[in-house]
Amino acid sequence: MTADILILSAAGMLVSVFLMVGQKALFTTIRLYGAQSLLLGVVAATIAVSENRHELFVTAALTIGLKAIFIPWFLMRTIDRIGIHREIEPFLNVPASLLVSLALTVIGYRVSSGFPVGARGVSHHLIGVALSMLLIGLFLMVTRKKAITQILALLTVENAVFLVAVGVTSGMPLVVELGMSFDVMLAVLVLGILVQRIVDRFESMDVSRLSKLKG
Amino acid sequence: MNIPVIQTIATVMWAILQAAGMLAVAPLLKTAIKKMKARLQGRQGPPWLQGYYDLAKLVSKEPVRSETASWVYVAGPRVYFAAAVTATTLVPVLVPAAPLEAVGGILLLVGVLALGRFALATAALDTGSPFGGMGASRDMTIAALAEPALMLGLFTSALAAGSLNLGVLVRTLLEQGPSFQPSDLLAFSGLFVIVIAETGRIPVDNPATHLELTMIHEAMVLEYAGPDLALVEWASAVKELLYLTLLVDLFIPAGIAPHVAPVALVVAFAAWAGKVLLLAAAVTLVESTNAKLRLFRVPELVSISLGLAFLALAIRFL
Repeated sequence: MTADILILSAAGMLVSVFLMVGQKALFTTIRLYGAQSLLLGVVAATIAVSENRHELFVTAALTIGLKAIFIPWFLMRTIDRIGIHREIEPFLNVPASLLVSLALTVIGYRVSSGFPVGARGVSHHLIGVALSMLLIGLFLMVTRKKAITQILALLTVENAVFLVAVGVTSGMPLVVELGMSFDVMLAVLVLGILVQRIVDRFESMDVSRLSKLKG
Repeated sequence: MNIPVIQTIATVMWAILQAAGMLAVAPLLKTAIKKMKARLQGRQGPPWLQGYYDLAKLVSKEPVRSETASWVYVAGPRVYFAAAVTATTLVPVLVPAAPLEAVGGILLLVGVLALGRFALATAALDTGSPFGGMGASRDMTIAALAEPALMLGLFTSALAAGSLNLGVLVRTLLEQGPSFQPSDLLAFSGLFVIVIAETGRIPVDNPATHLELTMIHEAMVLEYAGPDLALVEWASAVKELLYLTLLVDLFIPAGIAPHVAPVALVVAFAAWAGKVLLLAAAVTLVESTNAKLRLFRVPELVSISLGLAFLALAIRFL
């Protein structure tokens, strides 16, 4: 039962990343990130119950509260405020991005079976999904023009790292987790302000215009 | 009479019975989706038997055919209907076996459905009306992507059971009991999008309008009237029921009658109806909360599901 929930949640996270790659509507992408974080919270809560580690409930609550509710809300508010065009403009078109993501997922899964704990069972899937998410997140970061989508890609990478940390290792100390959550929140806030500044300066969120700053 | 003959007759009877049952229930599913959608919009929706009234009205009209139409135009709806009816006999519904499972499995199912689509698309081209041609080309554009995705998704389940035969597949899944693999969820997500695309539901096509810019399926059958149109509509409803049944069979097979007994069959019917309605509710929810995609976006959506289905298959091996 525990294994089923973990595997389902991890697979759900992978599906959400894929939909993020295939999506062009900015708000849907943010909601997908929220759903992904919710699933991460479910993973943490499931492990907390099954292994009787109560400190993981704090992690789950932080993940859901911060990443599934606060950050999506904050990003949507930022977009509303700066009133930009709500469509993602990738450097690479959607089918090509999907193909690359497919290859990255295959690589992620293949690499996961190289780990001693990741050869089979639940941790095989958890590590595989996390590595794939990590690679796809990095890929999204370099192929998306808008600053907001780059933030989302960064957060996806962070979710991937968190998935391995919670699901496979015996967990981080609570202090580290609190610090990480705080870090993520601050990063999003700072990046949100940065995005507003970029929009003020260039009247667009297109980060490729930043190259004009060169002297 | 010797035993093989009796067995053959029994199989044929069973196939006819199952096809007739699916034909009888299909308009009800269509109405149920319309009703659920209406409820979400705060309306009452059509009466439960509206699907049958519509079909009866169309059948009672005289067929009006274009003077330039050839036999291809007449054959189109008939082949489409026959293909849909044939396909119903290849899918397990109430018991973990399909009536004609000895004839073929997944490949035959996909092939028969493709035959129906081909017949309708050629028939749409036959009258020379621009709408028919436009609808046919759009339908084929989507089908070219949806068909491989459907096959890959089905292959993922087939790989788990080690057989391409749907009857064997469902029996193996039942024996194994519920066990989750990430590929199940990926294949399910992929196939769910395919079902929406193939049944012409909203993000892909809007079944309720005849807006020339966006229609796909409706553009293909625009020329048809009377009994011809009734056949097309009925076959589409059957196809929708068929796809939902297929999803139910592959991903939530629990509840299928283990043996043929009156009580078990009634329970299996209730379970099947409940599961199909649940999926139909999910389709309705997607339809009510999304806007129709621009036509050039549709291949992107379908390619996402192709990617998911491919990944599901790949993860099985990794």
